[in-house]
Amino acid sequence: MIFGQILVNWLLLSSLYAAVAVGFSLVWGIMNIVNLAHGAFIIVGAYIAFWMYTQLHIDPYVGIPLTMAALFTIGWLVQYVAINRVIRAPLLVTFLFTFGLNLLITDLVQQIFSSDLRSINTTYTGNGFDIGSIHIAFDSLITATIAISLTVALSYFLSRTRTGNAILATGMDRDAARLMGINIGRIYALTFGIGAALAGAAGAMFAELYPFNPSEGGAFTLRAFVIVVLGGLGTPWSAIAGGLAFGFAETVIPLLPGVGSGYDDAIAFAVLVAVLVFKPNGLLGKAFYS
Amino acid sequence: MATDLHQSVVASPPPEKIKERREWLWSLLIGLAILVAIATIPAYGDASLLHTWTLIVMYVVLAQSWNFIGGYAGYAAFGNVTFFGIGAYTVGLLVLAGLPFWVGLIAGGVIAGMFALLLGLPVLRLRGQYFAVATLGTAEALREFVEVKDIGGRGGGLMSLPLPSLDAYPFLFYAFIMLSLLCLLITVVLTQSKFGYALIAIRENEQVAQALGIHTYWYKVGAFVLSAVPTALAGGLYAYWATGFDPGTVFDRGISIEMVLLTFLGGSGTILGPIIGGILFETASFQFQTSGLNLHNTLLGLSIVLVTIILPQGLIRFIQEFTRRSTPGLTPANRFMEGLRRVRRFIAANGI
Repeated sequence: MIFGQILVNWLLLSSLYAAVAVGFSLVWGIMNIVNLAHGAFIIVGAYIAFWMYTQLHIDPYVGIPLTMAALFTIGWLVQYVAINRVIRAPLLVTFLFTFGLNLLITDLVQQIFSSDLRSINTTYTGNGFDIGSIHIAFDSLITATIAISLTVALSYFLSRTRTGNAILATGMDRDAARLMGINIGRIYALTFGIGAALAGAAGAMFAELYPFNPSEGGAFTLRAFVIVVLGGLGTPWSAIAGGLAFGFAETVIPLLPGVGSGYDDAIAFAVLVAVLVFKPNGLLGKAFYS
Repeated sequence: MATDLHQSVVASPPPEKIKERREWLWSLLIGLAILVAIATIPAYGDASLLHTWTLIVMYVVLAQSWNFIGGYAGYAAFGNVTFFGIGAYTVGLLVLAGLPFWVGLIAGGVIAGMFALLLGLPVLRLRGQYFAVATLGTAEALREFVEVKDIGGRGGGLMSLPLPSLDAYPFLFYAFIMLSLLCLLITVVLTQSKFGYALIAIRENEQVAQALGIHTYWYKVGAFVLSAVPTALAGGLYAYWATGFDPGTVFDRGISIEMVLLTFLGGSGTILGPIIGGILFETASFQFQTSGLNLHNTLLGLSIVLVTIILPQGLIRFIQEFTRRSTPGLTPANRFMEGLRRVRRFIAANGI
């Protein structure tokens, strides 16, 4: 049944997209930074997974905690050393800064790993099981499970722990949070680190699912942006909602008569403009931070 | 045009106004001097030097035209390469259809202007990051469209024109210089006009500008079109200069970002900023290239990171701050120290 297969593909793709966007959404919501280096972090995560698999024979899914730790360190340092210094500058400056960072990271990855297309082929790559006529690949299913678990974990962390509450408070009102004794610089570094770590996890999972090369980062950033616009800022759940909406557009639009494949970025962009023109604050739209 | 400006200086009696207005006159003169100095390059007869400087002047033009929307109106247009690509492909298609080059060039400017108008109507309702990403996305989507539809006709959108390579001839070099001169004059007129003041008001505070009765929306659309047309002309000239190109080159988002960086490096929203920033960065970049290091993107990324952290206000304002007239009666040594102190405060206020 083709319809059931489309449904399953949509859900599996959406969960990967939720993982791509959840860190981006956190950083944007809490700090009002649109992190254009998010795609580059995802690519770094993918290459770390690739390197660990080829050199150390660590399975990409098992290696996710290590990938996340590495990306957390990078993100924490970037925020602590650089972005904290320009956080009060006009929006254009942080925007430009993260784009510069994106170029720098992408280029470094390219110098180290070359721009060849890479992929990870584990023993279970390409295998799956069938329910009726619907085929489900193992790696897609594991990805979906991990993506949803990470979102749940982030949500729990933000709402139930003291540090998580401090992050939310800083997002709501920076100055009030400082008066309550929260160290803003550290909270920002932590938030950016978590955002980068989630990007790393998404990158590792992407590396298992699809072939990749360093130039793919820009497409991820654009997608993450569209997903956040669709789902709205605010909670980790809105990334899942945005992922579902965007995954739907990307699964269904190429199936329409007269469209065909090859227009991935154009679809992402058309969805973005269509939503923004009618709902400038996103579909579920209210700005968490303003 | 120049006599008009001159008369307006003579006709204004209050002394402090004359002093204020001299700044643009100095900028204009320095800008002209720089362009004239560059225009002597073909006299050396060095083909590779000419090649390099043609590209440098092209980037200067791109930065100058980005300055209208990004520097003066303060709108973070991150997809201006769209217009560059439109200019290049219009020239390519019309030359392939057998029309003369200049028809294609003008058509490219007109089409890009209309595209900017049609695109600006929805996206200029957006603010901040939303506008930035919407423009970034336009460029990506258009690149993909040209690639998939194979507009160039040689597979993947590749276009090659049946032209002699004009690479070594100074004709296109002078065309770029004239375009840069035109942008310089437009910028100078802009800073003295109601249109320019409206754009600056939008940059400083759009809501207040609106409350003052400025039709901000139409001024923004105007600035967007104004920055699109010279970009498209530069794209058309590039098409003729390169004779072969693909969507990845003329819709490269790196070019969009380079426009922003060059303007920021020199000083966005200043007359000379894009010229100085463009010349400094591109000279350094080409120097690296000729010494065999393929570090263009690394250099670009690193420069962006450093400029945004250390000097987001740009070099021009930095120099202005240093040379601003100090309190009278200081000895030269004290005046120098005063300048240094000011610079330290300036950096502290804007970056590290």
